Amino acid sequence: MKYETVIGLEVHVELATDSKIFCSCSAHSYGADPNSHVCPACCGMPGMLPVVNKRVVDFGMKAGLMLDCHINRTTTFDKKSYYYPDLPAAYQTTQWFAPVAVNGLVEITTSKGKKNVRIKQIHMEEDAGKLVHDIREDTTHVDFNRTSVPLIEIVSQPDLSSAEEVEAYLERLKTLLRYARVAECEMAHGTMRCDVNLSVRPEGSDKLGVRTEMKNMNSVEAIKRAIEYETARHIDALENGTEELRQETRRWDDIKGKSYAMRSKETAGDYRYFPDPNVMPVVIDDTWFESIKSSLPEFPEVKRARYAEEYGLSEYDAEQLTKSIALCECFEDAFSVCKSAKDAANWMISEVMSILNARQMTYDMLKLNGKALGELILLVSEGKVGRANGKKILGAMFDDPTIAPAAYAEENGLIVSNDTGLIEKVVAEVVASDPKAVADYKGGKEKALMSLFGRCMKQLKGNCDPQMLRTILIDIVNKQ
Amino acid sequence: MDRDTLRRLELLNQLSLTEAQKEDVFSFFADRDEDLKALEAIDTENTERMVHVMPIMTVVREDVVSQPFAREDLQRGAPETDEGYWCVPRVVE
Amino acid sequence: MMKAYTYKADTAAEKRIVADDMILTKDIPTTAGSKMLEGYVSLFEAEALTRLKNAGYSLSGKADVGEFAIDLLGETSVRGALSVDGKILNPAAEIVSSGEAMAALTLDVNGSVRRAAAQSGLISVKPTYGTVSRYGTIPAACSGETVSVMAKCPSVCREVLGVIAGHDDKDGTSLPEEKCALVSAAAPIRRVAILTDMAEGADGSVTERIDALSRALEASGVTVEKISSTLISSARAAWNILMSAELCNNVSRYDGVKYGYRSDNFSGLDELYTNSRTEAFGELLKTAILFGSDTLSTENYMKVYDKSLRVRRLISEEFTRMFESFDAVMMPACSSMSYTEEAVKADKYLCFKENFYTAPASITGLPAVVTGGVQLVGRAFSEAALLDLAELSAKEGK
Repeated sequence: MKYETVIGLEVHVELATDSKIFCSCSAHSYGADPNSHVCPACCGMPGMLPVVNKRVVDFGMKAGLMLDCHINRTTTFDKKSYYYPDLPAAYQTTQWFAPVAVNGLVEITTSKGKKNVRIKQIHMEEDAGKLVHDIREDTTHVDFNRTSVPLIEIVSQPDLSSAEEVEAYLERLKTLLRYARVAECEMAHGTMRCDVNLSVRPEGSDKLGVRTEMKNMNSVEAIKRAIEYETARHIDALENGTEELRQETRRWDDIKGKSYAMRSKETAGDYRYFPDPNVMPVVIDDTWFESIKSSLPEFPEVKRARYAEEYGLSEYDAEQLTKSIALCECFEDAFSVCKSAKDAANWMISEVMSILNARQMTYDMLKLNGKALGELILLVSEGKVGRANGKKILGAMFDDPTIAPAAYAEENGLIVSNDTGLIEKVVAEVVASDPKAVADYKGGKEKALMSLFGRCMKQLKGNCDPQMLRTILIDIVNKQ
Repeated sequence: MDRDTLRRLELLNQLSLTEAQKEDVFSFFADRDEDLKALEAIDTENTERMVHVMPIMTVVREDVVSQPFAREDLQRGAPETDEGYWCVPRVVE
Repeated sequence: MMKAYTYKADTAAEKRIVADDMILTKDIPTTAGSKMLEGYVSLFEAEALTRLKNAGYSLSGKADVGEFAIDLLGETSVRGALSVDGKILNPAAEIVSSGEAMAALTLDVNGSVRRAAAQSGLISVKPTYGTVSRYGTIPAACSGETVSVMAKCPSVCREVLGVIAGHDDKDGTSLPEEKCALVSAAAPIRRVAILTDMAEGADGSVTERIDALSRALEASGVTVEKISSTLISSARAAWNILMSAELCNNVSRYDGVKYGYRSDNFSGLDELYTNSRTEAFGELLKTAILFGSDTLSTENYMKVYDKSLRVRRLISEEFTRMFESFDAVMMPACSSMSYTEEAVKADKYLCFKENFYTAPASITGLPAVVTGGVQLVGRAFSEAALLDLAELSAKEGK
């Protein structure tokens, strides 16, 4: 018999805010000392009251709109109760009754073509802390740095049917959420996490099979392996009766390549949700809604097409630039100043992106001021700054985004000099200091001239039109 | 309220009652049944729930970091800490 | 008197305030009357207390409370009941009566403050929900609890309330400043209603007070009329559900891990949780936790908890209707002018019945003033007017 797999995903994404969702502690705890980003609220002490971080709602809305959801214009928070050491107050504040976004749609592309995946809902909530099991054998260590870091949970309908589709879906989520600048979505950092709900049924059947939930996959590859393993396990159970399938939560062990049923408590799943009396309903008025809506970026493929059409960029260039919204924004800003899409694209791809690569930064980490880049491009294309010095200035602008290229070039003596007197003086000095090179050149060795040229350029700190230097140099050498 | 439900409530709330206390709780729940009946008799068909008594909406703060509390102060009254962590008996995953 | 305190400051300052042990204080323990929090010292203090200190008041000490302030008068404190000749006394009220503090700053969760004021002949004001910040109070039943003031005379209540009321960004339910300022806005009171249904179960000592207050008010030109509303009587049932559920959730944080009491006797995490909570929590609290938890179960949520939220709106609307014709509604604060230890022993859950009188103002967040042993509930932001009535009746009474 042929079987089909039915998969729904619950994807948790950490939102890229500065502070936590209900208190003012820093939300950037990755790699920080344990419990260094905590306050009485984060460690479950009594007396502090939750006040919602506005940017969390902004980002929740943005995520919803990027995934084509309906935004609940009145959205509320609820308490979910259970005991676990990573949950300091023994309740999590989440959205149960009126999540920020519902009924969305994400289009994915796989080898079989395009497909729509329905989004059931997106809700905002606080993250739990971290448990460390490997410091002492008999003890679990508790770190609340991650407690209350804002999350959205994106719940899909069970519309996925293979590991390939799941991968495409996750990649699409990453792209869209990164484009909207709401999240890093880095599974290796734990800023994107995914639980897989999976069941198997005979092909064509409209009845769902027994569903299991799998946790603890730390990469897209692990998710794919887990799906393949779990699908095979379900089919084996259905075909050969190897085991009786149970609705349960399973933990994926990526090293062993197996999933294991998690020990479940009798009271598991009894969360006793109720509306949080301390958090007022959030009402999204038209002004707020429109300001978020108008701040959303074009989808990457729309941008790509526009770059090719409007700016006449090659397909390759358009592809490169649209890899990250940060690149797009920098490029568009640079273009708005220098007015040459080709120059702007060139600088972005051959200079900016290679600096990012050399510094091992992701494209999203680009903080360069695009308008300033545009000014720099102009300085170089108008011959006011040499190309090599232009790169130097770009490096400085990476380190300090407040740098204005023209002023920086001026202050650091990087402006091309049109002072022929100065150039002639420098050339004369260099030529006089090396009669051998002059003789070599006159003897037919082109290379000797290049060496002299290089030394002159160096003396002039690169601030010289190469053509002008060459003419003056040949002139002076020939007079010797 | 039966013994199974009470046992489940104890588990859910991490409490363990003596037999005498259980009897008290049964009598308490029995008294509350009348209250529930009285509430059931009230027609709330066309009434919205009221979670917040004051009709204010949308209380939000700006996304600004401030961290005035030090770990050593937060852990001063802790039953057990180690290397800056709070500690619990090992949780098997 | 020492027993009334959990902590006594060595101060000769003139304007002294006692805070009850639901109000967090820095450097001084705050225990909520529970073994769970014995010796617990908060790293920050209540906003209301900070405001008082900034206005030149000083803390005379901390008054004991019943465990998480849900009981009658404080008798369920881990330190035991404060009593004289078998009569239960409220620690904060005793400290104010003795003159050691000019006023008490308290958290009114389940009416114990109002019962205490009524039985001790003090004045108390439970302000409109949201006018005084709850930042730095131990959370019990957040949707209805309010920082309240108790003093010997209405003018001190007025003065202290004027200091502590005001918007606070740290409390997401805090009202805008212009609304908070209304607690001091004067308004005339011409008509007061006696809610006859609410006198149910009250003994002669209480009905006497109601009669006396009515006469005093009438003598000063206020019209007093009797009205009836069965809906208000259902506030108790609904509030017990909401309060217990919220309490259950709020005290789940006390588990022997982060701070507070930890059992010596455990192996494994569940035993650590269960034994710590079982050993540290008192019986009344445990019952409330179990009851509250049950109201939130999947099976009960709609028919019990959600139902109570809807009844809350009906009660609120009923008050609004009454306030179209009346400026305040008079009702008892308790069934009797004293509670004996014997009575509490005979009915451990008496506080869940006695809040019949206090639940209407708790569940709606409306302001309530206790004067002459009787409770007056008014429109939102009518604190000043209610305290005017208290002053009027005190003058007439003399």
